[in-house]
Amino acid sequence: MSIMKWENPAPKDLWDAFNGLRGDMDRALDLFRVPDAMGLLDRSTAPAIDLIETPEDYLVFADLPGVDRKDLELSVTGSILRIKGMKRAEEASEKRKFFRKETWAGSFERTLDLPALVDSDKVSAELVDGVLKVRVPKREEAKAKLITVSVN
Amino acid sequence: MYGKEIADGDRYRIPACSICEDEGIVSLKLEMPGVAKEGLEIKVEGNELSVLGRRGAERESGTYLLRERRGESYRKLFTLDESISRDKIDAAYANGILSLTLHVREAAKPRRIAIA
Repeated sequence: MSIMKWENPAPKDLWDAFNGLRGDMDRALDLFRVPDAMGLLDRSTAPAIDLIETPEDYLVFADLPGVDRKDLELSVTGSILRIKGMKRAEEASEKRKFFRKETWAGSFERTLDLPALVDSDKVSAELVDGVLKVRVPKREEAKAKLITVSVN
Repeated sequence: MYGKEIADGDRYRIPACSICEDEGIVSLKLEMPGVAKEGLEIKVEGNELSVLGRRGAERESGTYLLRERRGESYRKLFTLDESISRDKIDAAYANGILSLTLHVREAAKPRRIAIA
Protein backbone atom coordinates (compact mmCIF):
# COMPACT_ATOMS: atom_id res chain seq x y z
CA MET A 1 0.00 0.00 0.00
CA SER A 2 2.22 2.72 -1.22
CA ILE A 3 -0.47 5.14 -2.22
CA MET A 4 -3.57 5.78 -0.14
CA LYS A 5 -6.47 7.97 -0.82
CA TRP A 6 -6.04 11.11 1.17
CA GLU A 7 -8.78 11.82 3.62
CA ASN A 8 -9.45 15.10 5.25
CA PRO A 9 -8.79 14.67 8.97
CA ALA A 10 -11.60 17.13 9.70
CA PRO A 11 -14.81 15.51 10.91
CA LYS A 12 -17.07 14.37 8.13
CA ASP A 13 -20.13 15.68 9.82
CA LEU A 14 -20.10 19.36 9.00
CA TRP A 15 -22.32 20.13 11.97
CA ASP A 16 -19.67 18.85 14.37
CA ALA A 17 -17.73 22.03 13.95
CA PHE A 18 -20.84 24.10 14.58
CA ASN A 19 -21.74 22.09 17.63
CA GLY A 20 -18.30 22.73 19.05
CA LEU A 21 -18.64 26.40 18.28
CA ARG A 22 -22.00 26.50 19.96
CA GLY A 23 -20.53 24.96 23.09
CA ASP A 24 -17.84 27.62 23.11
CA MET A 25 -20.42 30.35 22.68
CA ASP A 26 -22.54 28.99 25.50
CA ARG A 27 -19.56 28.93 27.77
CA ALA A 28 -18.63 32.47 26.80
CA LEU A 29 -22.14 33.70 27.49
CA ASP A 30 -22.23 31.91 30.81
CA LEU A 31 -19.48 34.21 31.95
CA PHE A 32 -21.78 37.18 31.63
CA ARG A 33 -24.44 35.59 33.75
CA VAL A 34 -22.17 35.41 36.75
CA PRO A 35 -21.58 38.74 38.40
CA ASP A 36 -18.11 39.88 37.51
CA ALA A 37 -17.25 40.43 41.11
CA MET A 38 -18.17 38.10 43.91
CA GLY A 39 -17.14 40.56 46.54
CA LEU A 40 -14.47 39.04 48.69
CA LEU A 41 -14.79 35.65 47.14
CA ASP A 42 -13.23 36.29 43.79
CA ARG A 43 -9.82 36.87 45.27
CA SER A 44 -10.06 33.67 47.30
CA THR A 45 -10.73 35.24 50.67
CA ALA A 46 -8.43 38.18 50.15
CA PRO A 47 -10.04 41.51 49.43
CA ALA A 48 -9.20 43.47 46.31
CA ILE A 49 -6.75 46.24 47.06
CA ASP A 50 -5.47 49.45 45.55
CA LEU A 51 -2.04 50.60 46.64
CA ILE A 52 -1.07 54.14 45.80
CA GLU A 53 2.25 55.77 46.45
CA THR A 54 2.54 59.48 47.00
CA PRO A 55 5.75 61.31 47.92
CA GLU A 56 4.66 61.40 51.58
CA ASP A 57 2.83 58.15 52.17
CA TYR A 58 1.18 54.99 50.95
CA LEU A 59 -2.56 54.81 50.52
CA VAL A 60 -4.33 51.48 50.66
CA PHE A 61 -7.94 50.99 49.65
CA ALA A 62 -9.73 47.72 50.17
CA ASP A 63 -13.29 46.74 49.33
CA LEU A 64 -14.80 45.20 52.43
CA PRO A 65 -18.57 45.20 52.08
CA GLY A 66 -20.44 44.07 55.16
CA VAL A 67 -17.40 44.02 57.39
CA ASP A 68 -17.88 45.63 60.76
CA ARG A 69 -15.30 47.99 62.20
CA LYS A 70 -14.85 45.83 65.27
CA ASP A 71 -14.17 42.73 63.19
CA LEU A 72 -11.31 44.37 61.38
CA GLU A 73 -7.71 44.18 62.51
CA LEU A 74 -4.90 46.22 61.03
CA SER A 75 -1.27 45.86 61.88
CA VAL A 76 2.02 47.23 60.61
CA THR A 77 5.21 45.34 61.30
CA GLY A 78 8.29 46.81 59.73
CA SER A 79 7.13 47.54 56.21
CA ILE A 80 4.42 44.87 56.22
CA LEU A 81 0.82 45.92 56.42
CA ARG A 82 -1.65 43.28 57.39
CA ILE A 83 -5.39 43.54 56.98
CA LYS A 84 -7.24 40.83 58.77
CA GLY A 85 -10.89 40.50 59.45
CA MET A 86 -14.08 38.65 59.53
CA LYS A 87 -17.25 39.05 57.60
CA ARG A 88 -20.10 37.77 59.66
CA ALA A 89 -22.84 35.68 58.17
CA GLU A 90 -26.42 36.47 58.90
CA GLU A 91 -28.11 34.35 61.47
CA ALA A 92 -29.29 31.17 59.91
CA SER A 93 -32.94 30.37 60.04
CA GLU A 94 -34.63 27.12 59.13
CA LYS A 95 -37.50 28.82 57.41
CA ARG A 96 -35.31 31.01 55.30
CA LYS A 97 -35.11 29.88 51.75
CA PHE A 98 -32.28 31.09 49.57
CA PHE A 99 -32.90 31.72 45.91
CA ARG A 100 -29.51 33.07 45.15
CA LYS A 101 -26.37 33.36 47.16
CA GLU A 102 -23.44 35.18 45.70
CA THR A 103 -22.26 36.89 48.82
CA TRP A 104 -19.75 35.33 51.06
CA ALA A 105 -18.97 35.31 54.76
CA GLY A 106 -15.94 34.20 56.71
CA SER A 107 -12.53 35.41 57.62
CA PHE A 108 -10.02 36.95 55.28
CA GLU A 109 -6.52 38.24 55.36
CA ARG A 110 -4.27 40.22 53.11
CA THR A 111 -0.65 41.10 53.66
CA LEU A 112 1.13 43.81 51.78
CA ASP A 113 4.83 44.38 51.70
CA LEU A 114 5.24 48.10 51.31
CA PRO A 115 8.26 49.08 49.24
CA ALA A 116 9.74 51.50 51.78
CA LEU A 117 10.13 51.95 55.50
CA VAL A 118 6.99 53.30 57.08
CA ASP A 119 6.10 55.08 60.24
CA SER A 120 3.89 52.57 62.01
CA ASP A 121 2.90 55.04 64.74
CA LYS A 122 1.19 57.39 62.36
CA VAL A 123 -0.99 54.96 60.45
CA SER A 124 -4.57 56.13 60.10
CA ALA A 125 -7.51 54.17 58.80
CA GLU A 126 -11.17 54.70 58.12
CA LEU A 127 -13.98 52.45 56.97
CA VAL A 128 -16.63 54.24 54.93
CA ASP A 129 -19.40 52.58 52.89
CA GLY A 130 -17.63 49.25 52.87
CA VAL A 131 -14.30 50.64 51.70
CA LEU A 132 -11.29 50.67 53.98
CA LYS A 133 -8.81 53.47 53.48
CA VAL A 134 -5.45 53.25 55.20
CA ARG A 135 -2.84 55.97 55.12
CA VAL A 136 0.64 54.80 56.00
CA PRO A 137 3.19 57.61 56.15
CA LYS A 138 6.69 56.94 54.95
CA ARG A 139 9.56 57.38 57.30
CA GLU A 140 11.63 60.50 56.88
CA GLU A 141 14.59 58.59 55.48
CA ALA A 142 12.44 56.88 52.88
CA LYS A 143 11.12 60.10 51.41
CA ALA A 144 12.77 61.35 48.28
CA LYS A 145 14.92 64.35 49.02
CA LEU A 146 16.22 66.92 46.71
CA ILE A 147 19.90 67.48 47.21
CA THR A 148 21.52 70.23 45.35
CA VAL A 149 25.10 69.66 44.39
CA SER A 150 27.15 72.66 43.69
CA VAL A 151 29.62 72.25 40.91
CA ASN A 152 32.73 74.28 41.11
CA MET B 1 -34.47 51.04 27.87
CA TYR B 2 -31.27 49.20 28.56
CA GLY B 3 -29.50 51.16 25.85
CA LYS B 4 -30.73 54.47 27.14
CA GLU B 5 -29.09 54.15 30.50
CA ILE B 6 -25.87 52.71 29.20
CA ALA B 7 -25.60 55.51 26.68
CA ASP B 8 -24.32 58.03 29.20
CA GLY B 9 -20.86 56.58 28.78
CA ASP B 10 -20.61 54.99 32.20
CA ARG B 11 -19.71 51.38 32.63
CA TYR B 12 -21.52 49.26 35.12
CA ARG B 13 -20.88 46.08 36.93
CA ILE B 14 -23.29 43.66 38.51
CA PRO B 15 -23.11 43.64 42.28
CA ALA B 16 -22.95 40.32 44.10
CA CYS B 17 -26.40 39.59 45.39
CA SER B 18 -28.16 37.22 47.75
CA ILE B 19 -31.89 36.68 47.76
CA CYS B 20 -33.79 34.83 50.42
CA GLU B 21 -37.35 34.48 51.54
CA ASP B 22 -38.57 34.11 55.06
CA GLU B 23 -42.31 33.84 55.68
CA GLY B 24 -43.54 36.21 53.02
CA ILE B 25 -40.63 38.61 53.33
CA VAL B 26 -38.12 38.56 50.53
CA SER B 27 -34.80 40.12 51.38
CA LEU B 28 -32.19 41.08 48.87
CA LYS B 29 -28.65 41.93 49.80
CA LEU B 30 -26.42 43.61 47.27
CA GLU B 31 -22.76 44.26 47.89
CA MET B 32 -21.88 47.70 46.63
CA PRO B 33 -18.77 48.93 48.40
CA GLY B 34 -17.78 52.50 47.69
CA VAL B 35 -21.26 53.79 47.01
CA ALA B 36 -22.47 56.60 49.23
CA LYS B 37 -26.14 56.73 50.22
CA GLU B 38 -26.68 59.66 47.87
CA GLY B 39 -25.40 57.62 44.94
CA LEU B 40 -28.13 55.03 45.25
CA GLU B 41 -31.11 55.00 42.99
CA ILE B 42 -33.80 52.37 43.45
CA LYS B 43 -36.74 52.37 41.09
CA VAL B 44 -39.75 50.22 40.42
CA GLU B 45 -41.22 50.54 36.96
CA GLY B 46 -43.95 48.07 36.19
CA ASN B 47 -42.45 44.66 36.75
CA GLU B 48 -38.93 45.89 36.94
CA LEU B 49 -36.93 46.77 39.99
CA SER B 50 -33.74 48.56 39.13
CA VAL B 51 -30.89 49.35 41.44
CA LEU B 52 -28.20 51.79 40.52
CA GLY B 53 -25.24 52.61 42.74
CA ARG B 54 -23.01 55.37 41.56
CA ARG B 55 -19.46 55.37 42.80
CA GLY B 56 -17.86 58.72 43.25
CA ALA B 57 -14.59 59.26 41.48
CA GLU B 58 -12.16 58.57 44.29
CA ARG B 59 -9.04 58.60 42.18
CA GLU B 60 -6.11 59.67 44.23
CA SER B 61 -3.11 61.50 42.95
CA GLY B 62 -0.03 59.36 43.11
CA THR B 63 1.33 56.25 41.51
CA TYR B 64 -0.80 53.15 41.56
CA LEU B 65 1.40 50.24 42.61
CA LEU B 66 -1.55 47.88 42.75
CA ARG B 67 -4.90 48.39 41.19
CA GLU B 68 -7.29 45.52 41.71
CA ARG B 69 -10.43 47.36 42.63
CA ARG B 70 -12.77 48.35 39.89
CA GLY B 71 -14.23 51.78 39.90
CA GLU B 72 -17.40 51.18 37.94
CA SER B 73 -20.82 51.96 39.26
CA TYR B 74 -23.18 49.13 40.06
CA ARG B 75 -26.33 48.24 38.27
CA LYS B 76 -28.75 45.40 38.69
CA LEU B 77 -32.21 44.72 37.32
CA PHE B 78 -34.76 42.40 38.83
CA THR B 79 -38.05 41.29 37.38
CA LEU B 80 -40.77 41.32 39.97
CA ASP B 81 -43.26 38.56 40.13
CA GLU B 82 -47.00 39.27 40.41
CA SER B 83 -46.90 38.00 43.97
CA ILE B 84 -44.65 40.84 45.15
CA SER B 85 -46.25 43.93 46.54
CA ARG B 86 -45.12 46.95 44.56
CA ASP B 87 -45.79 49.60 47.15
CA LYS B 88 -44.08 48.06 50.13
CA ILE B 89 -40.39 47.99 49.37
CA ASP B 90 -37.97 49.02 52.07
CA ALA B 91 -34.32 49.82 51.56
CA ALA B 92 -31.45 50.21 53.97
CA TYR B 93 -27.80 50.82 53.28
CA ALA B 94 -24.94 50.16 55.66
CA ASN B 95 -21.27 49.15 55.34
CA GLY B 96 -21.45 48.89 51.57
CA ILE B 97 -24.41 46.53 51.58
CA LEU B 98 -27.80 47.51 50.28
CA SER B 99 -30.64 45.57 51.84
CA LEU B 100 -33.99 45.60 50.12
CA THR B 101 -37.04 44.13 51.76
CA LEU B 102 -39.93 43.08 49.57
CA HIS B 103 -43.22 41.72 50.74
CA VAL B 104 -45.27 38.98 49.24
CA ARG B 105 -48.86 40.10 48.65
CA GLU B 106 -51.36 38.77 51.14
CA ALA B 107 -53.38 37.21 48.34
CA ALA B 108 -50.35 35.30 47.10
CA LYS B 109 -49.43 33.80 50.45
CA PRO B 110 -50.26 30.16 50.99
CA ARG B 111 -53.46 29.79 52.93
CA ARG B 112 -54.31 27.00 55.23
CA ILE B 113 -57.89 25.97 55.02
CA ALA B 114 -59.36 24.52 58.12
CA ILE B 115 -61.80 21.69 57.85
CA ALA B 116 -65.06 22.51 59.53
